[in-house]
Amino acid sequence: MPTQEQVQDALREVIDPAFGKDIISLGFVQELKIADGRVALDLQIVRSSEEANESLKQQVERSLQGVEGVEAVAVRLTSNARSSGAPSDQGALPGVANIIPIASGKGGVGKSTVAANLAVALAQTGARVGLLDADVYGPSIPMIMGATEAPERGGRGILPVTCHGVKTISTGFFTKPDQAVVWRGPMLSKMLTDLAHQVEWGELDYLLVDLPPGTGDVQLTLCQQVALTGAVIVTTPQPVAASVAQKAIIMFEQLKTPLLGVIENMSYYESRTTGERELIFGAGGAAAISKKWKIPLLAQIPLATTVRETSDSGRPIVLEDPEAPASKAFVEAAARLAAEIAMKNANAAKPVEINF
Amino acid sequence: MPTPVRINRHGDHDIEIEWDNDQTVVYPSRFLRLNCPCAVCEDEVTGKRIVQDSMLPILTYPTKIESVGRYAIQIYWSDSHSTGLYTWETLWALAAKIDDWKAGLKPS
Repeated sequence: MPTQEQVQDALREVIDPAFGKDIISLGFVQELKIADGRVALDLQIVRSSEEANESLKQQVERSLQGVEGVEAVAVRLTSNARSSGAPSDQGALPGVANIIPIASGKGGVGKSTVAANLAVALAQTGARVGLLDADVYGPSIPMIMGATEAPERGGRGILPVTCHGVKTISTGFFTKPDQAVVWRGPMLSKMLTDLAHQVEWGELDYLLVDLPPGTGDVQLTLCQQVALTGAVIVTTPQPVAASVAQKAIIMFEQLKTPLLGVIENMSYYESRTTGERELIFGAGGAAAISKKWKIPLLAQIPLATTVRETSDSGRPIVLEDPEAPASKAFVEAAARLAAEIAMKNANAAKPVEINF
Repeated sequence: MPTPVRINRHGDHDIEIEWDNDQTVVYPSRFLRLNCPCAVCEDEVTGKRIVQDSMLPILTYPTKIESVGRYAIQIYWSDSHSTGLYTWETLWALAAKIDDWKAGLKPS
């Protein structure tokens, strides 16, 4: 019978070409079971490309079959993500494996567009995804995701609206379009915790939270009252956006929320007629942040009229035009994000255990 | 900076923290109450301690401990106080002060 070490060593030889790392370090191997000469495991996939996933699976099978004593190998592909905490954790949402705030310091960097496209791209890999729009003052997720129905009551309170395979909830669902929300901080915090806890999410691999810009009440409440997996920072290449984004990074560091990655939006503009690239907002903002704070740069999303149009029409670009450069960048960002989460959760220190 | 792995009850009311650097520290509960980092117990500007030993009931002990995010715990005290968030930094720094505090309790 092969030992656990022999099997692990064989799996360490399987390198995912997209990340240049082995699948054990990436945390993609789940539920590894060895019984007599049979090895069974779940292999987490983070891409929707059947070809790439199938090729990785075959590599795993080949590598395991080379181990002495292995008679049969069963590899099951799964898009279920490992959870970042124990279900008993204070602040954990039941059934939700990972909660990921999407934040920026500065407003207007395209945070909601990035959040919506990431959510749809993750859902396309087969993962179960939720999207919580926490921008009480300017909720834009309903428009970007094309949500027309209002949420219904059910379960623990509210049932999310499913848009393009993503369970969506927004504060915008509860206010009329011609109404403005004029609230003070404490009411914002209450609204957010109510939304997080009273929505019947069901089983989710990822819940993305589209935060309002800044470092105020909503961000603080979320970090203190919800057990977060880690945050994603969105910025443009422009120095003024990048410098404000660092304020958000400092806030998350202070609140001990890990940072999973930075996404540079509006990186460049590619002319539709000449194909010439123009750096409208300058260059290097996100790369500098990534280097300074040691946070992975998940993707650089080009500025394109179609991104704007698809956001306004309620069909995110990853759905509407999967071949567009922006779509490919979003899909890449989603895969990298899922890998960062898998890696972090596989190697994470356990949350503190309180026996008092 | 080490982080806590486990927080246990020690004796009747004291708090034992197992840190991930394999050190275990027993915090006398009154010592922790006196070092509560909240704005009611410590002047936010000067850092001067406001809560004094004489202000607390003779028996003051924790009734409940909850984790806050991934960076602190909140202790609910028998004197109805609960606003202090004890961060890992605070707790680790306090570990070094326990012996001095105990020494000060003995009649000189």
